[in-house]
Amino acid sequence: MPEEADTGATGPFTVLVADDNDVAQRLCRRVLEKAGYQVLIAADGLQAVEVALNQHPSMILMDVAMPGIDGLEAMRRIKAELPEMPIVIASAHSMASDRERFLAAGADNVLSKPFRLADLVAIVAKLALDRK
Amino acid sequence: MAAIAAVFAVQAAAGAGPVLAFPLYLTVILLTALQLSRTESLVTAGLAAVAILIPPFVEGDLPGNMVSALLLAVVLMAAAVAITGVVRRVRETAARAQRHTDDIAASEERLRMMLEAAMVGLALVDAEGRWVQVNERLGMILGRHRDELLHLPIEEVTAENDRAVLGEALALLRSGDIVRWEAELNQIRGDGTRVPVAIAIGTAPGHIPGETLLLVQESDISARKRLDGLRDCLVAVRRVIVGGATWEQAVPQLLSSLCAYLDLDLAQFWAADPDRQALRVRHYWHRDPEGFEIFREHSRAAAIPMGFGLLGRVWQSGVVAALENLSEANDYSSSDVARAAGLKSVIAIPVVDSGVVIGVIELLAGHPRSIEDDEVTMLSTVGVEIGQFIRRSDTTQALRRSEADHRAIFERSPIGIVRISGEGDLVEANPVLLAMLEYDFETMRGSAWPALLRAYDQAASRQRLAPLLAGITSGGSVQVRAGTGGGKWLWLQLTATSIPDSSGRPEHLLVMIEDVTAVRETSDQLAEALESQRGANANLEKLDRTKTEFLSIVSHEFRTALTGIQGFSELIRDGGLEPDEVRAYGGYIFNDADRINRLIGDMLDLDRMESGRMSIRTGDVDINEVLSEAMTRAGTSASTVEFKGDLDPRLPIVVGDRDRLIQVVSNLVNNAIKYSPDGGTVTLSTRAEGGYALVSVTDTGLGIPPDEIGHVFERFRRVRSGAAQSIPGTGLGLTIVKQIVEMHGGKIWVESAVGHGSAFHFTVPLVAENVTPLQRRHA
Repeated sequence: MPEEADTGATGPFTVLVADDNDVAQRLCRRVLEKAGYQVLIAADGLQAVEVALNQHPSMILMDVAMPGIDGLEAMRRIKAELPEMPIVIASAHSMASDRERFLAAGADNVLSKPFRLADLVAIVAKLALDRK
Repeated sequence: MAAIAAVFAVQAAAGAGPVLAFPLYLTVILLTALQLSRTESLVTAGLAAVAILIPPFVEGDLPGNMVSALLLAVVLMAAAVAITGVVRRVRETAARAQRHTDDIAASEERLRMMLEAAMVGLALVDAEGRWVQVNERLGMILGRHRDELLHLPIEEVTAENDRAVLGEALALLRSGDIVRWEAELNQIRGDGTRVPVAIAIGTAPGHIPGETLLLVQESDISARKRLDGLRDCLVAVRRVIVGGATWEQAVPQLLSSLCAYLDLDLAQFWAADPDRQALRVRHYWHRDPEGFEIFREHSRAAAIPMGFGLLGRVWQSGVVAALENLSEANDYSSSDVARAAGLKSVIAIPVVDSGVVIGVIELLAGHPRSIEDDEVTMLSTVGVEIGQFIRRSDTTQALRRSEADHRAIFERSPIGIVRISGEGDLVEANPVLLAMLEYDFETMRGSAWPALLRAYDQAASRQRLAPLLAGITSGGSVQVRAGTGGGKWLWLQLTATSIPDSSGRPEHLLVMIEDVTAVRETSDQLAEALESQRGANANLEKLDRTKTEFLSIVSHEFRTALTGIQGFSELIRDGGLEPDEVRAYGGYIFNDADRINRLIGDMLDLDRMESGRMSIRTGDVDINEVLSEAMTRAGTSASTVEFKGDLDPRLPIVVGDRDRLIQVVSNLVNNAIKYSPDGGTVTLSTRAEGGYALVSVTDTGLGIPPDEIGHVFERFRRVRSGAAQSIPGTGLGLTIVKQIVEMHGGKIWVESAVGHGSAFHFTVPLVAENVTPLQRRHA
């Protein structure tokens, strides 16, 4: 599996869901697996960094408010190692200024919570398509 | 011859007889003796005797006739001798009397001549004071004919103001109390002018008893008087001028001196206008207090052009001029008014400064008065001296005014001013400063000023300014703190300026000292107010930030909860799920909806509590039971934390709102769990202490940083630093807890150390009464 991940462009499209809220974890896993993607779960920022660097998911769906280091710090650390890693910030911080803030921090896309399931699938599908 | 003819006539007629003829002969002899010389009488007597003898001889009658005729002749002769003797005696006596009378007449004439020729006026006055005899000289002195004088009493020709004293003297002389009186007084000449006389009145020597006659001796002393007057006048004027008075002060004295020494009644000083258009009255003086009002008013309103009238001419010419008799004058502008005021003569003196007539002194008298050459000379001198005096006085006055102005600035300046010597000694301090610092001058000089000087230098050195005595040219200010004599403390602002001497060294310094205490205090207060305003602003900003943060938190919480609700409900809606899935998703949805509900409840609670609209329902509450329940409930959800109970079994039942107290405890317990992310122990303990139930919730979690511990009970405040930054919460929990505890009459506080955990303690009163007022208040 790490070997597959290293190549990135090959193998199944893997989404790392980094979220401390187990309801959100469950929802995303359910929806994305249903859509045909592989799903990895991280419950906080440090875990997200660790999984991302070790398992090289195709993309990361990153919450912001998490214990330990928050999503933005985790994103910074991951991008430092893997600049090409697509990271979508999925946050309940959904004011207009937040979106700008996240994009400025390096996010490839932003998904505001709560979200329509179709929006989540579309964002992931677009990145999956880009990879090809 | 007539006698002889008479004898023969008698002889012829008395041919009848000698007896008849005898008386006739006797008569003839008597007549002859009276009328003619003695010889003729005797011859006539002889003839008569012969005539008597002839008839008897011729007729040759009887010898008896002869005898009787002879007898008759003898008697006749004897009678003739006797008669002539008597007549001669009488004649001699008469001649002697005549000679005596002539002698007396000559003597009297000589005396009269002497009287008339005397250089003094001499006269006799009777008991009533009437002139009885007056010599020519006296008539000349008084300017009247002697005969005119003889009808007047001496007092009538004496000046009015001398009459009283003269009258007294006459009375004393009459009564014999004195025999001689001497004086100098003024008398009135026939033309109305006055003449000063030296008068001596004495009881006339050798006068007839019963008749009082007084000898009056007068001499005209007008020349001496005038000279004396002129000299004294000049002396008086000079005395005033050198007296150091200002012109304004000196004027009344000058005018009164002129009047007094020149025997005048009224004086006015007319000053020329600066533009030299007119003379106007500036000063006025008169001898008597009344009678000149109209004249004065007239003068006051007058403006005399140059060359107009006596004054105008004097102004123009610069020469002393006079009008001896106003009633004859027609070029004196005020003649009617002056006459109405009883003024008779006027003298005008030009007041000259550097050849320019700057004013005119007008002198008026109530009597006609001539002016002599020597008076003109003297008055011209007076005019020049007064003119110079006016200029000096003006200069002096200007200097004095300038000095007074500066003095006034110094004395009355609202700020303190001191003058100090180049050595730093206090020379002068104005009253304001002494009042400000509550010292007398000596204390000020002795101790207060040196202290102030030191304070100045210290303050100056702090401001990198020169010390006071180093020579300050521009006023740099320093502020120093100084104590007053009254024990107050003032802030003084000192501004120094040095005043250099000719060599440029500071000769002395002026220091202006202002009491800026109020300013300082105000500015301090202002700074304080600004500071507190800034603090308030900061608080507002902080509040604003925390509110924004709160909104962000609340919306984040809501959206997080809604993410599950929306997502799973969308899945359910779209269908195609297993029944197990649907059930599980429904559970997630329920939990998140519940969480949202709690959040909303917290917010509403807090709002009600803060606005005072929340009531507590009182009832018996077993605190231990509340804590046990909370532990049980928390223990089921939090797996990483271990709970310990240390409950006092003797804790009495308290009176309170059970639901609210449960809310307090569960909130504290949840916090303890939340902030113990790495697990640990949460200890719940109760104790009865001082009438209160003391409840403590102690964890071994993250702890609260010292700078945040004071704010944990504030609304929207959450510990966000370090490891706690991502711990979710509304920031309302502890605020609500505190409100509930306080509504029960208790207190809540926290002890904490970062890395060691926190201990929250709260109390609930054991006595129900304490609750009542709160209950009532919030009901």
